[in-house]
Amino acid sequence: MNIELILFGAFALLTLLSAGTVIFARSPINSAMALVSTFFFMAGIYVLLWAHTVAVMQVLVYAGAIMVLFLFVIMLLNLGESSTRGKPTVARVAGGAATVGLFAVLAIILLKLPAEPATLSTGAQASFGTIATMGQVIFTQWLFPFEAVSLLLLVAMVGAVVVAKSRI
Amino acid sequence: MNLPNLSLADFLPLLPAIIMVVGASILLLSEVFLSTTASRAYQAVLTVVTAVAAGAMALTTMFEPPQEVMLGFGVMDPFSSFLTFVVCVGLALATLSSVSFLRKRGAERGEFYALMLFASAGMSLLAMSNELITLFVNIEVLSLSTYALTSYLRRGTRPSEAGFKYFILGAFSSAVLLYGAALLYGATGTTHLTAMAGPLSTAMSSQPGLVYAGIILVITGFAFKVAAVPFHMWTPDVYEGAPTPVTALMSVGVKAAAFAAMVRVFFMVGKGVDPQILLSLFSVLAFLTMVAGNLLAIPQRNVKRMLAYSSIAHAGYLLVGVAALFVTGPGEQFRLLGASALTGGTPLDLARAEALRGILYYLLAYTFSAVGAFTIVSVLERREDEEKGTAWDLERFSGLAQRKPGWAFAMAAFMLSLGGIPPTIGFMSKLLIFQAAVDAGLIGLTIVGVLSSAVGIYYYLRVVVYMFMRPVPEGAQALEKSWSTELALVLSTAAVVILGIIPGPVMGWLEQASSIFGQ
Repeated sequence: MNIELILFGAFALLTLLSAGTVIFARSPINSAMALVSTFFFMAGIYVLLWAHTVAVMQVLVYAGAIMVLFLFVIMLLNLGESSTRGKPTVARVAGGAATVGLFAVLAIILLKLPAEPATLSTGAQASFGTIATMGQVIFTQWLFPFEAVSLLLLVAMVGAVVVAKSRI
Repeated sequence: MNLPNLSLADFLPLLPAIIMVVGASILLLSEVFLSTTASRAYQAVLTVVTAVAAGAMALTTMFEPPQEVMLGFGVMDPFSSFLTFVVCVGLALATLSSVSFLRKRGAERGEFYALMLFASAGMSLLAMSNELITLFVNIEVLSLSTYALTSYLRRGTRPSEAGFKYFILGAFSSAVLLYGAALLYGATGTTHLTAMAGPLSTAMSSQPGLVYAGIILVITGFAFKVAAVPFHMWTPDVYEGAPTPVTALMSVGVKAAAFAAMVRVFFMVGKGVDPQILLSLFSVLAFLTMVAGNLLAIPQRNVKRMLAYSSIAHAGYLLVGVAALFVTGPGEQFRLLGASALTGGTPLDLARAEALRGILYYLLAYTFSAVGAFTIVSVLERREDEEKGTAWDLERFSGLAQRKPGWAFAMAAFMLSLGGIPPTIGFMSKLLIFQAAVDAGLIGLTIVGVLSSAVGIYYYLRVVVYMFMRPVPEGAQALEKSWSTELALVLSTAAVVILGIIPGPVMGWLEQASSIFGQ
């Protein structure tokens, strides 16, 4: 048993635990804080997958910036203990059943995957996932999606301003 | 690492989208220098000019052979060029119909037109995307613009509800699509559609579950976007709550672009997996969508909601065309009725080309008819009635033939076209789609399609009956005219009628242009 496997086990377990807390915590603040730790432990898994840049982004953007917004919203709306636990309606039971069913199907599919995905990882080099490689690739080969993302950000900005305008 | 060398010429295929983005940026910047009361008539003109320029650019590239652009992340083929053209037509007509709509509500702003242009640029880029991440980003470009446009006018509860519903469900469907794309990437190790076929057939034998899950999730994501049953729940509420010109653009542009992306993805996926799987999935979707869309539209007295359900039904007819792409052999007993006009290739290629031609012509036909119908809806509605929910009631159309014979004639033409009655473009397009389906051997689906469109004629003709056979209601207010609305109506009526009688020119283009990259 090598160190990577131990680390993966630890990160995976902690990710699952914090993700469970997100769902089951009664107070929205606790949920949000559990979400931070979920993102954080996920970042650990990304590091194990040689995706350093994504891991850093995950911590900076999700655990950092986006979660601050989350907490702002929760505090601004002054949400208390959750009030969503109503009676189990047909829609809720059906929705829950569908979710569990989908989860089960995906779990079965993923469990059937080969333990050693050797064919897929041969292309990965030592530099894979580093900022240098990503920087080179993103502005050259992946130029088209990159430019599309910049268009997307512009649209998101304009759209947010339009929606936030008090009254048109 | 050898880095690719891009020159300016490599960006030329993207020119239609670039023109639209530049036009949008000019509109955004011009708004900075204007006072709130300044005249904004030029903004619509600029938008229409931009749309026409982009559409013309797309037309010039329509007869070039399919080729990869932007290092294989995109393709430019007659399919994408024609789609861009259709989007530009829809954009121009929707813009013309929004001028007086916005002015009446004191809401003419550059951002509105800019978002329309951004959405159309996203649609054009989506039609060209040949790689899953690019495709996803471009879907988001067009989705985010339409979310914002949906809640552009936020007086009252309906638009906010529509915007919020569209945003949540749209984001959800994007996530489903992305998850499916991730599973396909996991199965094949590539996100490039062109490179996917080979690894897919290997993965299909070793990991069938992964491939199936990926395909089904991607289809689900697209089914949300094109409003196919059973993923159509959001459509009536969103279409009703959005400003009517935006609804027009959504119903034609978003649908056309999403269909383009869906066809491109599954055309490539179909090379790697057994097309029979895709055929059965799309057949089921098409069946449900045609039947449910038409049946749900019947009880609607609200014309805007009725048109929303009708747009679901039309997605169903288009899905028949998509299903016809995946037949493995043309029906033996049926001579290729329509494909004889196309040249070259095996019968199977001909059947596919025929299905593609049907889809493209249908999208063009639906663009003219639906934008026209929504334009009439937008000139008849009044803001005061929106909260009461009577702004789009059938009563509004009572006696329209006496008040505005021209509008009544135009609306009748659009309704007949949507119902698929000759001599309109809608009839020609249904004919092409069903012909392709018959040639592909999808007899059952064709029969369901013809029967359900016969059901559809009921609710389309009801509008015509109200316009021509009901008296003008008491206290009806005078209807305002504006040059832009009249122009939009004249253009779309002319297209609906003329292309219904003489489909020659467009058919000529399509016979050369009904080819998709990788065919």
